[in-house]
Parts: sequence; C-alpha cells; structure tokens
Amino acid sequence: MTVTLEPSLGDVHAVVEEVWSSFLGAEEPILPLATPMPPGGWSAAITVSGGWDAQITVNLTDGAAQAVTSTMLMCPVEDCSDEDLRDALGELVNMVGGNVKSLMAGSAVLSLPLVGHGDISPGSHLVEVCRLELTWRGEPVVVTVHLPPTADPS
Amino acid sequence: MHALIIDDSKTMRSILRRIVTELGFDTTEAGNGQEALDALEAGLVPDICLIDWNMPLMDGYTFVTRVRADDRWRNVTLMMVTTESEHGQIVRALAAGAHEYVIKPFTPDAIIEKMELLGLVAQEVPA
Repeated sequence: MTVTLEPSLGDVHAVVEEVWSSFLGAEEPILPLATPMPPGGWSAAITVSGGWDAQITVNLTDGAAQAVTSTMLMCPVEDCSDEDLRDALGELVNMVGGNVKSLMAGSAVLSLPLVGHGDISPGSHLVEVCRLELTWRGEPVVVTVHLPPTADPS
Repeated sequence: MHALIIDDSKTMRSILRRIVTELGFDTTEAGNGQEALDALEAGLVPDICLIDWNMPLMDGYTFVTRVRADDRWRNVTLMMVTTESEHGQIVRALAAGAHEYVIKPFTPDAIIEKMELLGLVAQEVPA
C-alpha cells in the first residue's frame, strides 16, 4: 500500500478485506456489492486527530452487527448482549481506522471508538472522501472516511 | 507459562486468550495498563504480556515504560498487539523495551510465530 494524502477506495477496501478475513473468516469474504442499507442498524466510528483530522465509520445492519459479534466472540448470536456488540464493533472500527490512518502521511492519534445504534455524525469540518458499499453474509456494510476539505492551492 | 492479556476490548482479549490457551498458556486479563500494573504489583509474574496501545486510564506504551523501569519485572517479555502502525510509534515502543510488535489485524499464526521467535513456544520443525 502507498502513503497518500487521501486514501483511495482500493486501499480502504484492502484494509477492510484484511480485517474481515483475519477476524471474520476468509471463507465468507466481504463483497464489493452494494446492498440497500435499511434505516437503523449500528454505527462504529473512530476519529483521528493531531497532524490531521479524520473520522472512519462502519455502518452495519442489526443482523450484520450480531453476526460480527458472534463470530469474533465465538458465541451464539442469542448470547451476544448489546454490550458485546459495542465492544466487538468498537474493535472492528479500531482495526479499520488504525490501518486507514497508516495509509496517510503524517503523524496522528487514534481516539477510542464510539459505537451506537443509529448514525454517528462526523465533525462539521469533515467531508466524505471515501465510501465503500459492501455486502457480507447478504447484509449491507458501509465504510466511510471523512477528512477536512482539501485546501484549494489557488 | 502465563500470559497477561491487556486490551480494553473484551472481544480482542477473548481472541488472544483463545490463541495463547491453545499454546498451553494460562491467562490473566486486564482492561488497561493500570489494571495490568496492579496485577503485577499484586504478585503476578507472567512470562509474556500482550499489550494494546490505545486504552483508557493507562495506555500500552506507558505500561511498557513502567514495567521496564522496575527491576522486579525484568524477565517479563512484552509484546505490543495494536492497530498503531506508524513507524515512529513502533520504534518508540521497541526503544521503551517492548520485545515484539504485532499490528492488528493479525492471524493466529502471526502471534504464534512471534512467540516462537521469542522462545516462548517450541518452533515447529518442518516435516
């Protein structure tokens, strides 16, 4: 992967694929296939601050969030509490965000993850620069990267 | 052999626990560096600590510096297991006394290979 000022879709996709294959099983890959995201669901976000600012967010349906948690904790879905979901999704976005951070030039610091039911709005100074619409186990998964608008050199 | 797993994520502690238990380790878990330090102060002497970087109360880097500053724990092996992959941070952690550095996401084989290199697990002899 190359160090860039703005992560490419391909690089972010590679990060997401690596996280999914490492922790959620290579036999059930996350596919580059857009599936309509119903309202609701879970969001997990992590922010980057310091040399530059960013927010990386993963949005999942309730079903996908439960499947992620159940797979990572190796326990039946019915045994996964909301606290388990928050913890597993937090670790998931931590890995995606940390590796997206490594694609960018300059030093910066990762926050602790924020996980909740519903959307997590990025800071008002950030704009969406990358959006991956994916499918895992037939459920939509959306990964977005928000950065400050690029300064106009003119 | 005993492993102290230090991560604020219960999920990640569970994943690491499964890996090192398969290798024959007993485990203790801590949710941050301060909890881990308290466990050491209480008399726990692990063979290895698996340490996340970003945690509330006390981060993994601070934990490494605190452990390395105390002669009681000079024989404890320290392995960072973290999403922090900036070159400068890796250098900082190793300079502070961490023996190995694993970047998340990892496969179980990556952890096992590092533990073999550290001499904590017998290396597999190719058939």
